Amino acid sequence: MEKTRRDFVKLVGGAALGAGAILASRSKAGAQAKTPKGVPSEPVKIGVITLLQGTGALLGVPGLRGAEIWLEKTNAAGGILGRKVEFYQEEETVPRETVEKFRKLTLQNKVDVVVGLISTGNGLAVGPVAEELGQLWLAWDATTQKGVEETMLKPKYVFRAPDNEWDAIAGVLMTAKHYPNIKTVAGINNDYSYGRDCWETYVAALKEYLPNVRFVLDLWPKLGETEFTSHIAAIKKANPDLLMCSFWGGDNAIFFKQAAGAGLFQKMKGNFIAAGMSYFTLKKEFTPPGIVMGFNCYYFQALDTWPLGKWFVKRHLEKYKEYPGAECDNAYFTLEAYKAAIEKLYAVLGRWPTKEEIALTLPGIQVPSISGYRGFSEDNRAIPDCYVGLSTHKNPFDFVTIERVEIFPPHMTQKPTGMKLHDWIKSWKKT
Amino acid sequence: MIPDILNILISGIFYASILFLVSAGLQLVFGVQKIFNLACGSFYALGAYTGVSFIVAAQSLGLPPILSLIPLLLAGFSLFFIGPIIERGLLKFIYGRDDHFQLLLTFAIVLMFEDVIKFVWGTSPQLITKVYQAYGQIDILGVTFPVYNLIVILSSLIFAGLIGYMLARTKFGRIIRATADNREVSEALGVNMKMVNVKVFTLGTVLGTLGGALVIPATAAITEMGVDLIVLAFAVVVIGGLGSMKGAFFGAMIVGVLRSISVATYPELELLIIYLIVIGVLVYKPEGIFGGTGT
Amino acid sequence: MLSFMAIVLFILVLPRFGFQYASYLMLTFFGYGVAVLGWNLLFGYTGLLSFGHALFFAVGAYTLAFLMNKFSIFHMEAILLITVIISGALAALVGAICIRYTRVYFGMLTLAFNMLFYSFLLKFYYITGGDEGMNVSRPYLLGIDFLGIPKMQFLTGTYYYYAWAVLVIATLIMYGIVSSPFGHCLKAIRDNPEKATYLGIDIKRYRWYAFIISGIYTAVGGVLVAPVVGLVDPSMAYWTHSGTFVFMALLGGFVNFLGPLLGAVLYIFLQDTIMSLLYYWRFVFGAMLAFIVIAAPGGITGFIGSLMNKEETGV
Repeated sequence: MEKTRRDFVKLVGGAALGAGAILASRSKAGAQAKTPKGVPSEPVKIGVITLLQGTGALLGVPGLRGAEIWLEKTNAAGGILGRKVEFYQEEETVPRETVEKFRKLTLQNKVDVVVGLISTGNGLAVGPVAEELGQLWLAWDATTQKGVEETMLKPKYVFRAPDNEWDAIAGVLMTAKHYPNIKTVAGINNDYSYGRDCWETYVAALKEYLPNVRFVLDLWPKLGETEFTSHIAAIKKANPDLLMCSFWGGDNAIFFKQAAGAGLFQKMKGNFIAAGMSYFTLKKEFTPPGIVMGFNCYYFQALDTWPLGKWFVKRHLEKYKEYPGAECDNAYFTLEAYKAAIEKLYAVLGRWPTKEEIALTLPGIQVPSISGYRGFSEDNRAIPDCYVGLSTHKNPFDFVTIERVEIFPPHMTQKPTGMKLHDWIKSWKKT
Repeated sequence: MIPDILNILISGIFYASILFLVSAGLQLVFGVQKIFNLACGSFYALGAYTGVSFIVAAQSLGLPPILSLIPLLLAGFSLFFIGPIIERGLLKFIYGRDDHFQLLLTFAIVLMFEDVIKFVWGTSPQLITKVYQAYGQIDILGVTFPVYNLIVILSSLIFAGLIGYMLARTKFGRIIRATADNREVSEALGVNMKMVNVKVFTLGTVLGTLGGALVIPATAAITEMGVDLIVLAFAVVVIGGLGSMKGAFFGAMIVGVLRSISVATYPELELLIIYLIVIGVLVYKPEGIFGGTGT
Repeated sequence: MLSFMAIVLFILVLPRFGFQYASYLMLTFFGYGVAVLGWNLLFGYTGLLSFGHALFFAVGAYTLAFLMNKFSIFHMEAILLITVIISGALAALVGAICIRYTRVYFGMLTLAFNMLFYSFLLKFYYITGGDEGMNVSRPYLLGIDFLGIPKMQFLTGTYYYYAWAVLVIATLIMYGIVSSPFGHCLKAIRDNPEKATYLGIDIKRYRWYAFIISGIYTAVGGVLVAPVVGLVDPSMAYWTHSGTFVFMALLGGFVNFLGPLLGAVLYIFLQDTIMSLLYYWRFVFGAMLAFIVIAAPGGITGFIGSLMNKEETGV
C-alpha cells in the first residue's frame, strides 16, 4: 500500500508527457498482469462510426484503417492502463441512420467514447446528440464553418476537426509565396458547403496578399462528378493564371487526367488545396509538377525523420497493400489523445476517469500522431500542423509527392478561439 | 469564338456518347420487355470496374497502351453472362405481373450490385494509367482535344449504326421491333419469347457494360457512378422517347450538350435544367420526341 | 381485434420498461408509419406506384425546420397544420401533372419532381442550408415547452406518446377514407379504369384527391421524424429514400390496410440490426426485396393471409 502511494506521488510530480512515458512502460509490464488499482478490468469500448461507401469512403476507409492499426498497436502494448480496447463499428450513412447509430452505441452498447464521422451533415446532427447524452465524440472530419457554435454554444463533449478554412488559407500562403505575379484566378470546387467555404476563404484571404488579383471564373461541379470536359473547356476559355481547386477525392485524379488530355496546365498554375487526401491516385503521368498541393497535416514522405510515421506507412502497406490516406492521421490522433488524457488523469486521480474529466483534459493535450505532434485547442478543435508543398515527380513512386514542404503551425491557418473567420482575415498585419 | 463553341460542343458530345450507350441498353429492354431497368447504371459501373481490371492485367502482360481498346472492348463484352443470369434467374419470374414489380425488381438489383462491386473491388477509386495519354491529343481549329475522347464518340456512333442496322435489316431486329409493337401477336406468330427476352436483355446489359468500360481511361471508377447515372439515363430516355433508339441518340445529345452549355454559362443550373426539361417533356409530349412504341 | 389492442398497449408501455434505444427507434416508426400509410393510399388502393414520395417527406421536415428557425414557431400543432396546408398545395400542383399518366410514366414523373426538389434543396443553400441542412430543436407539444427535461427523456417520454397519438389518429382517418365510398371508387379505378369511367367515376379527379391526401400524410411523417433526428438535410429527398417507402409497404404487404405499418416497423428494426452486423447489408436488403417481389408480393400480411386461407379451405 505504502509503496504504491509513493509511486503515485512520483507520477503526480512528473509532467504530462513524462507521466505518459512512465505509464506506458508500466502498462507494458502490466500486459500480462491484471489492471492497476482503480482501473476496471473489462475492456474499453470505443464506438467507431465512419463512411464506408461512396465518395466519402476515400476518407472513411483510411480513417478506419488508421484506427485499426492504432488498436493493434495499443492492445499489443497492453491496452489503455492494462485494459484491452474493443471497437464497436457502425457505418455512417445519412443523418437519420447515423444519429441512430450514435445513440445505439451510447445507450445499447454503452461505449466509453465515440470516434469518427466524416460527413458534415452527420456531424451537425450528431453534435447536439453527443452533448445531450453526455457522450464523448472525437470527430475525424465532419468539418464545417458553421460549426457546432450555432447549435450549441460551448461544446463540452464534442471535439471537432479543424474548420473548413485551413486548407484554403495554407493554399493562399503558398500561392502568395510561390506565384506572387499572377493576375487572374479561376476556381473549380465541389458544389457543397466545403467547396463553397474554401473558395470564399481563398478569395478573401488572397486579396489580403495580392490585392490586384481578379477572379475570373468559378465552377461548381457536384461532388462525385466524373466528367469535366465541359468545365475544362470553360477554364481554357477564361484562361486564368492560376486555378484553385478544393477537390479531395477521386475527382482530383479524374480532373487531372482530363485536363492533361486537353493541355490545360501548359502555362496555368494550380493550387489544389486538398489533393493530398487522395495523393496515391495522382499518377505522375497526368499530374504536373509545380502544383501547390495541400496534404492536410499528413505527408508520409517528410516523415522520414518521424519514426512513428515511418512505421505506420510500412505497417499500412503490409496490412492493406495500399498507401495510407490522409484521414489515417485524424483517426490515429483522436484515439491516441483519448488514451493520453486517461493516462494523464490516472496519474493524478489514481482511478479511471469519468467522461467529464476526460472532456476537460483533452483541450490543450499534445500527443504524437502519424504526422507529428498535434493536439486540441482550448475550444475543442483539433489543431494540427498543415503540410503544403509543390508537386514533384522526383520520387520512386508512380504518383506525385510534394517538395519544398512548408509546415504551417495552427495559428497561421486556423482562426483563434472565439474569432469569426472573416474578421480574423481582415485583422492580418502585413509585414 | 469558334474555338469556344467547338469546345463546348465536343465536350457535350463526348458526354452524350457515354449516355447514349447506357440509354440504348435501357431503350432496347424497355421496348421489348417493357421493363424500365434501373440496374442499367449498375451495369455501367460494373463495366467500368471490369475495364480497370482488364487493363491492369493487360498492362502487366506488356500490352502497348495504344492497343488498350482491345481489353476494354473485351471487358465490356465479357460481362454478357450477367444478362442471362439476371434475366433467367430473377426477371423471368415476374413477366406476367404488374409492371410495377418489374421496376421494383430492378431496384433490388441496383442495391445488390452496389455491394457486389464493393466486394470485388473495394471502395477506393480505381483508375488506369497510360491509356488516355497514349492516344495523344489533336488540334482542331485552335482547340486541343484528347484523341481518346474522339475515339469514344466514334465508337458510340459505330455502335449506334450497328444497332440501327440490326434493327432495320436483320431478322433479330425485325423480331425486336415486332415484339415491341405488339407482344401478343408476335408470340402468336411463333416467336420464341424466351429466347428473345434473354437475348434482348443481354444485349442491353452489354451496351451498359461497354459504356462503362470505354469511358474508364478518361475517368475513374467510383462507387457512386452507377446510381448517379440512372438519373441521367432516365432523363435521356424520357426526352428521347421510351423505347426508341433514335430517341436515345437525340436525347443523349440534348442532355450532353445542354449540360456542357450550362457548365460554361450558368453552372448553377447544371442539374436543375435537366430535370426541368424532363418534366417539360413529360407534360407536353410524354412519349418523348421520338416516342410511341416503335424502336 | 384483440391482438391489435395488445399491440397498441405494448407500444404504449414500451418506454416504461426502460428499452430506451428501442423506444427511440419506435419514434422513427411513428413518423414513417404515417408516411407509408399515405404512400400506400396511392399504390395499394389506387394502383399508382410513386417513386418520388421522399419529396413530401422532405417538404414536411423542412417546413418544420423553417418554421422553427426562421419564424420561431415551435408549437407542434401549428407546424402540423401549416404542413398540411403547404404539402396539400404542393401535392395538388404536382399531382395535377402526375396523375394524368399511369404506370411507368407516373413513377418517372414522381421521380423527376422528387429529384428536382432535391436539387433545389442542395443548390439554394442560403435558404435551405444546402448539404449541411438545418438543425431543429424540440417542438412545443400542446402548448407546453418541455425544455426543462433532458432531451432523451423528452423524446422517449412526452414526444413518444404525442407521435404515437398522431399515428393512431392518422391511421383511423385513413381507415375512414379507404372504407368510404371514395375509397371504394379508388379501388374500382385501380382494378379496372375503363369500367370505372363507364360507371361515371371521374378517374382523374379521384386520383388527384388520392395524390393530395397521400402527399399530406407523407409530409406529416416527415414532420414527426425531423425532431427525432435533430437535423433536416437533402438526403431526406434523394430518390433512393423514396425507395424506402416502397420497400416498407411491400415488406409488410400493400394489400392489407395495416400491412405498410407492419412493414415500417419491421424495416426500421431490421435495418438497425443488419446494418450493425453486416458490411454488405445493402446486398441483403436488395435480396430481400427481390425475394418479396418474386415470391411474396403480398408481403408478410399477404403471406399470413394466404396461410390462413389455406387452413380454411383445407388445401
